[in-house]
Amino acid sequence: MRIDPFALRKPAALLGLALVAIHLVLALFSPWIAPFDPTELVGGRVDPPGGEFLLGTDALGRDYLSRLLHGGRMALFVTFTGVVAAVTAGSLAGIAAAWFGGTLDDVLMRLCDVKLALPGILFVSLFITGFGESFGVLVTLIGLVYFPGVIRIVRAQALTQVNLGYVKAAQLRGESAFSIIAREILPNTLDVVYVEFAIRMSHAVLLLSTMSYLGLGLSPPTPDWGLMVSEGVGQLAFAPWLVLFPAVFISTLVIGLNFGAEALAGALGLDASRGHVGGT
Amino acid sequence: MARAFLRRLALSLGVVWLVTVLVFVSTEILPGDALQVSLTADEAAQMTEDDFARRRAELGLDRPAPARYAGWLLAAAKGDFGTTIIGKADVTEVIAYPLRNSVLLGLVTALVAIPAALAIGIAAAYWRGRAPDFAASSGAILGYSIPEFASGNFLILCFAIWVPVFPAVITAFTKDPPSVLLGAAFLPVLTVVIGSIAHLVRLVRAGFIEALNSDYVERARLAGASRLRIILRHALPASVIPALNSAALYVAGLLSGIIVVEKVFGYPGLGLVLINAVEKREVAVVQAVSLIAAVIVVAMNLLADAAVMALDPRARSR
Amino acid sequence: MKGLGVGYRRPDGRLGPAVIDAAFSLAEGESLGLVGESGSGKSTLARALLGYCRPGGVITSGEILLEGEDIRKLDGAGIRRLRGGRVAFVPQNPLSSLTPHLRVGSQVAEAVRIHRRCGAEEARQATLELFAAVNLPDPAALYDRFPHELSGGQRQRVVISAALAGEPRLVVLDEPTTALDKTTEIQVLELVRSLRDRFKATLVYVSHDLNVVAEMCDRVLVMLQGRVVEQGATARVYRAPAHDYTRRLIAAVPRIDRAAQAVAPAAGGEPILAVADLAYRYATRRRWPWSRGADDGRPALAGVSFAVAAGETLGLVGESGSGKSTAAAIIAGLIAPAGGSLRFAGKPLPPLASAREPATRRRIQIIFQDPLSSLNPRHRIEAILARPLALFHGLAGAAARKRAGELLGQLQLDPAFLDCYPRQLSGGQQQRVAIARAFAADPDLIICDEITSALDVSVQAQVLELLKSLQRRSGAACLFISHDLGVIAQVAARVVVLRDGTVRETGATAEVFRRPADPYTRTLVDAATRGYASLPDLPGTSAAANGTEP
Repeated sequence: MRIDPFALRKPAALLGLALVAIHLVLALFSPWIAPFDPTELVGGRVDPPGGEFLLGTDALGRDYLSRLLHGGRMALFVTFTGVVAAVTAGSLAGIAAAWFGGTLDDVLMRLCDVKLALPGILFVSLFITGFGESFGVLVTLIGLVYFPGVIRIVRAQALTQVNLGYVKAAQLRGESAFSIIAREILPNTLDVVYVEFAIRMSHAVLLLSTMSYLGLGLSPPTPDWGLMVSEGVGQLAFAPWLVLFPAVFISTLVIGLNFGAEALAGALGLDASRGHVGGT
Repeated sequence: MARAFLRRLALSLGVVWLVTVLVFVSTEILPGDALQVSLTADEAAQMTEDDFARRRAELGLDRPAPARYAGWLLAAAKGDFGTTIIGKADVTEVIAYPLRNSVLLGLVTALVAIPAALAIGIAAAYWRGRAPDFAASSGAILGYSIPEFASGNFLILCFAIWVPVFPAVITAFTKDPPSVLLGAAFLPVLTVVIGSIAHLVRLVRAGFIEALNSDYVERARLAGASRLRIILRHALPASVIPALNSAALYVAGLLSGIIVVEKVFGYPGLGLVLINAVEKREVAVVQAVSLIAAVIVVAMNLLADAAVMALDPRARSR
Repeated sequence: MKGLGVGYRRPDGRLGPAVIDAAFSLAEGESLGLVGESGSGKSTLARALLGYCRPGGVITSGEILLEGEDIRKLDGAGIRRLRGGRVAFVPQNPLSSLTPHLRVGSQVAEAVRIHRRCGAEEARQATLELFAAVNLPDPAALYDRFPHELSGGQRQRVVISAALAGEPRLVVLDEPTTALDKTTEIQVLELVRSLRDRFKATLVYVSHDLNVVAEMCDRVLVMLQGRVVEQGATARVYRAPAHDYTRRLIAAVPRIDRAAQAVAPAAGGEPILAVADLAYRYATRRRWPWSRGADDGRPALAGVSFAVAAGETLGLVGESGSGKSTAAAIIAGLIAPAGGSLRFAGKPLPPLASAREPATRRRIQIIFQDPLSSLNPRHRIEAILARPLALFHGLAGAAARKRAGELLGQLQLDPAFLDCYPRQLSGGQQQRVAIARAFAADPDLIICDEITSALDVSVQAQVLELLKSLQRRSGAACLFISHDLGVIAQVAARVVVLRDGTVRETGATAEVFRRPADPYTRTLVDAATRGYASLPDLPGTSAAANGTEP
């Protein structure tokens, strides 16, 4: 990675990196930071913020701050695992499609077209109807949703390489396909892969929290921001903080990821806008 | 041009066919069958093997998968999506009005979002690096970073609870006439516009900047053309092409947004039908909704391709 | 024009100067050539004459007086009347300079309407007249075409006609023929000259090509790094350059009338490479997944035969689309020919590199046109050179580094470059590394595919000299492909002229260029020798000397 330090010193970039760092720390260390067990009934129903429970309690009497602090753990774990799988597999498939072309390329491209025709929420709904909402299914689905998009982007980047002189020169030296991909093409697509990972992470967090909100993602009593919003909607009129707090937590995480992706793309001299797709 | 378009049409039909395979396989083949997933554990425990076999035969699940797929596909092509497991309702009837309502919501959203995105994107590109650009870019990131269920509920809080201008929950019924539904749709439309406009703005901005930096705009400027003429005649048509090329993504994002706001606002559309169907494991309904959505995305993409061909003579000869 | 300064805003926000304190004056009806190498500021200076800078640029100082009026003091409307009205601009690349979605006629008519303030029908008539004036065939039919449907020469004529729409007094041409083939270039130059006589316009002609400027311009202005280093009457500057840089620039121009010290063939023996009846067709794009790539395309090569003797340099010359690069790719083993035979060192050569023996792959090396993209940006120079050394000679570690350093030394590059990445090097240095990589394999045949066409003239001269000296030392034969006859004359003892995929003429370079037998070759030679009249007749050996010889 050749990073342009100017791009990282912009306020938006710093804000993004700071937000992501804060959320990572909270997600990793929430069991030690949170004052209460997030699933234990410790207080009255819908206690307002302030007093013993800093951010109040929810409709069942669970400490809201503890639930918020724990709320990103599961979501980040599911999305991170799924997105890492999608980006790894998608990058390899994308480079392979670009290098080998032919039938492999055709098949992968049709796969992308099919996925493109189904919005993420529908794609996940479809499989959840058949497979249920277990942890494994959710991770697999996140992986499947982003796999074709990564193929498309990485393939496009790899295609710009295959006709360049250094790849031709390697070919003429008699290097193996593996060596050409690993030594010549992959190093020149990694920048795109990093940015792609950051962008897909932001999408995946949005998608999973939306699915949870709709009742089709993580299920209670897991503390999760999307679930907390949907549980809090009933009290919107007299306890709006039940909706606002988790909404702020999700939004700051996704804003952080997006500003971070933007900063990374800028620092690497890429254009992030081409990768941003219509959300969930 | 006709040839190029026919080719796209054939490819689109192929994609729709592959989607039908995906829809069928994902819901019917792998774990058990539609009957099992639709039953709760209690119901399943009360049924004997014979009960299962009888219900399966009733639902046609005893036939081999390829035969069921063929039957489903042929019926779906005629607009018959089967019946629901609970209540034996005709799926086509269940989804007909909600489909109309959702399409209405989508059309209104697109009619607001597209001109707005063009205006904002062009303004940001024209004053790039200055205040309007900064505002548009930051706004865009905020727009797609905040999930629709959060921004929708926030709008309810602001405009229905604190300042009660609009009703918090839509009281329209599924079969109300369009005028009633539209009257109730202000906040839902606003929510989806905020969420979906960002991507378009960025594409228009990038396309417009590219056009402004092009040699042909430089030539037109050096031939003495006025700014307005350069923007409208030379730069604008070329700058919307990237946005049109990713129309499929935009439409898919729009549909996702609509599903969410229907849940947030209780708007009687296809999204609500879908969410209920997934919860109750009504396979036939989920299949029908997915297929319709895919057809809409593919059709819109085809329309966008046609628009690109109209705007760019080079695309016609390809 | 006096004391003009133009700056570009750099990424860190400060202004980097592009043109420094430029000053010249031009009388009515005169023509001025702006010459200089890439990055010298000549295009920036030319645009400033229309009160314009490319995005990010600012005119920082000075005044531009046009008929006594400072155009920097004009308001928006005034500057629009000036542009296209009194001063017109002809850009470099006619394809990208015409709006792709507008019909060419309407683009010219637009310029007519802006400056003549007339109605649509009148503008159409005027456009058709302009089309006729620039010798476009069938103006009425061309009017409704789109830019991509025209040939390069036609597009440049359209752009010129648009520039003439406002009946300008001063026409600024920015490398108007650089994107064109030599034969088309002649026609366009002919046209510009006749139009200049007819419209009595003053010309400012920007070019890197000294021959073209010599032919077109009464006066010439030489730029180096944003500064004007010399100006004066063309004949005076060319024959007696005052500034050292001008002298070097003129000496570096490859000329076909100079006795070249080409690498001579080894005495007798079997040719190292023999190509017979080579044929190739571009496969058309597959329209449907199930259809095969139909080969109804026009042949890229048909019945091409030639031979390269051991140790000699054979020039392969032709315009774009002549199939010369296709021939290079076939011999290198990148693509398989549709027909014909290849023999290398007396044995049949398998078509694709993957089917060739490792030893054969070592013996044939290729150098590509674009230096930057032929080096992997992620590898240090050491790794780039070490790979062929390891693969072909089993060298690794310190031994490989030592050999790589020696190779750099032979190309007059500092061995410290071993630890650099390609992007840290200049274009000429990158191309020298690419040459070092090819010679690292210790080849018997080197294919050079337009290796200097991305370089400036002075760099080109140096690279060619280094290539020749390395070749002499190693005894490798060379297939040197170029569109530039002057370059071919400097390196190749024999030449093959290609056109539309067939061989038009073969023979000793000096002979072919002095007495071309084929009419097409004659056209090429005529085009290449234009402007020679005003160049100095230095009794010279190699044009590129000047201290580059090791």
